[in-house]
Amino acid sequence: MENKVFLSYGTLVTPIGIGIDANFHSLKNGISGIQQREHSGFKQENWFLSTLDDLSENRFDALLEKALSDLKKSYSETVLSAPETRFILSSTKGNIDNLPGDVFSSARGIIHRQTNNPNDVIVISNACISGVIAINTAADYLRYSDCDNVIVIGIDIVSDFVLFGFQSLFALSDEPARPFDKNRKGISLGEACGIIVASREKTHTSAVEYLAGASSNDANHISGPSRTGEGLFRVVNKTIERAGIHRSDIDFISAHGTGTLYNDEMESMAFTRCELQNTPVNSLKGFFGHTLGAAGVIEVIVCMLSLEHQLLFESKGFEETGTTQEMNIIQQTHAAPVHTVLKTASGFGGGNAALLIRK
Amino acid sequence: MSELKENLKAQIIEQLSLEDLTPADIKDDAPLFGDEGLGLDSIDALEFIVLLESNYGIKIADPSKGREIFHSVNSLAAFIESNQ
Amino acid sequence: MKITTSSYISAAGAFLNGQQKFTFRETNWQKECYQQLGLDYPKFHKMDHLSKMTVLATELIYSEGHLNALMDDEPELLFANANASQHTDMKFIESYTQQGNPSPSLFVYTLPNILTGELAIRHKWYGENTFFITPQFDSSLFAERLYHAARKGGNWCLCGWVESKVDEKNKVTEECFLFLVALTDNTADRSSFAAALDELLTNYRNGNSGNLNR
Repeated sequence: MENKVFLSYGTLVTPIGIGIDANFHSLKNGISGIQQREHSGFKQENWFLSTLDDLSENRFDALLEKALSDLKKSYSETVLSAPETRFILSSTKGNIDNLPGDVFSSARGIIHRQTNNPNDVIVISNACISGVIAINTAADYLRYSDCDNVIVIGIDIVSDFVLFGFQSLFALSDEPARPFDKNRKGISLGEACGIIVASREKTHTSAVEYLAGASSNDANHISGPSRTGEGLFRVVNKTIERAGIHRSDIDFISAHGTGTLYNDEMESMAFTRCELQNTPVNSLKGFFGHTLGAAGVIEVIVCMLSLEHQLLFESKGFEETGTTQEMNIIQQTHAAPVHTVLKTASGFGGGNAALLIRK
Repeated sequence: MSELKENLKAQIIEQLSLEDLTPADIKDDAPLFGDEGLGLDSIDALEFIVLLESNYGIKIADPSKGREIFHSVNSLAAFIESNQ
Repeated sequence: MKITTSSYISAAGAFLNGQQKFTFRETNWQKECYQQLGLDYPKFHKMDHLSKMTVLATELIYSEGHLNALMDDEPELLFANANASQHTDMKFIESYTQQGNPSPSLFVYTLPNILTGELAIRHKWYGENTFFITPQFDSSLFAERLYHAARKGGNWCLCGWVESKVDEKNKVTEECFLFLVALTDNTADRSSFAAALDELLTNYRNGNSGNLNR
């Protein structure tokens, strides 16, 4: 018999709130973190970003410090420092200002110093599916290794490097991102840090049960989504199969929904192929922007809030169907019975990942 | 025209960081995109837009035309000649 | 868990199951290896060094069988390195600081897991993939994750340690170590598996000493 795995939220630091309660309040009131930032881009172009105002010079490290300090308000030093507790860091670029040196060394140092945990920090850098993969990896450690808690930290900041890169791909929107909408124009980049505590015991009031997860590759293109949604189709089916549930049990899907033409189209293809086109679905990128390696973690935290409060959040920015396959996009935040939630992510490198949670 | 083509080949190699190739590896009429020829894709097409703008001062207003223009070194050279 | 096949490539040569297959003379040894393998895959020339090395070392493993007989979602890809995509990151930074424009074709390679995407495309593999960053080659992390994959019912895992790092003096340090693991073979426990893995890599590195300090 495998150990059960529970996920609890640790903290959430985003432009719409410091801490879980503040973010919940903003989400409920439809407040987005995306704003126009003047001269932010290459050639001083103005872009819409979801960025934190009050970080010091060394922004990545400052954000991680802030999130860990907040985590310590709700989790004791005994838990954090225990040898049976592991840390997983999910990030695409780490502290990019450290290049050409190690971009993940400062994070390792900060985690060790703030928590006194003796284990090596496990770093996962798998593009935009890093967060979901990190949670799936945490579940494996709890099920099969000698481990009581795995603390999953998802973090990325908006840097010139990443902003200029997405600019060069013509992938950025000149208005706040509108995932799945007919008039969507691309991504709004965002920065955030989210922390989830995965455990064998149901120790926290927010705890939800983790059922299963998986990853899959499109085997199609390194930066363009598959036209048929093959990888996402496969990974959703595999996750449902591993969880041993029926697809009709899924009450809500927290999709990736970046707001680019091709990504959102791909997701509509995949969910339709999975016969999930009628299941309520949202993308949170209209609230937080695309936070890359943090996205999977912060979006699973919001799924936990949906389960806790029996509330489905609007897919901000969506007005009119703009994908070939119609989906049941959540247009207004509303109360609904929510027990089983599917979270998906897709990213560069052709990667797709999914997980199922239940309360 | 042949000098333009030779320059273009060198610029393509430079712009796309194709360090394995020399201008002699790129044939004038070979398709640049797709699995034949150089195997370039839509991301590389963006590099061609930058290349034309920075080296020849030509702006491509309609990116969907790119596929025809960027078909081969021949088509690129013809486009540059007629737009300069 | 049992290693069925391993390969190693660096500036000094290409190795398969401990045997040297090629030696390289050219500065661009990755192109030389591509030619020696007789590959015809134009996309190769566009790839970053991490992807190139991984594609090459996988061709060596492929030539030994096993991989070609698997289902399209069967081989799980488990990769790691110490410096993520640092080499391409530096080139991309140069494109917008020195050369006038951020380069989209470089930007798409500024993530380490792109190499697993290139492998998936080349061989039409739709299976699981994960990329870890560890300060050094971490045999115990591989052993642990392979054990998890086995417990989850996986059959095969293609693992790799692929590094391409450039220093301030433009000196490049590169190596690629791949090993194919049969997960259903129960002949090794995690700690002895990790020890065997360390020994294998040490032997490869010693077999072409100096390549890491080129």
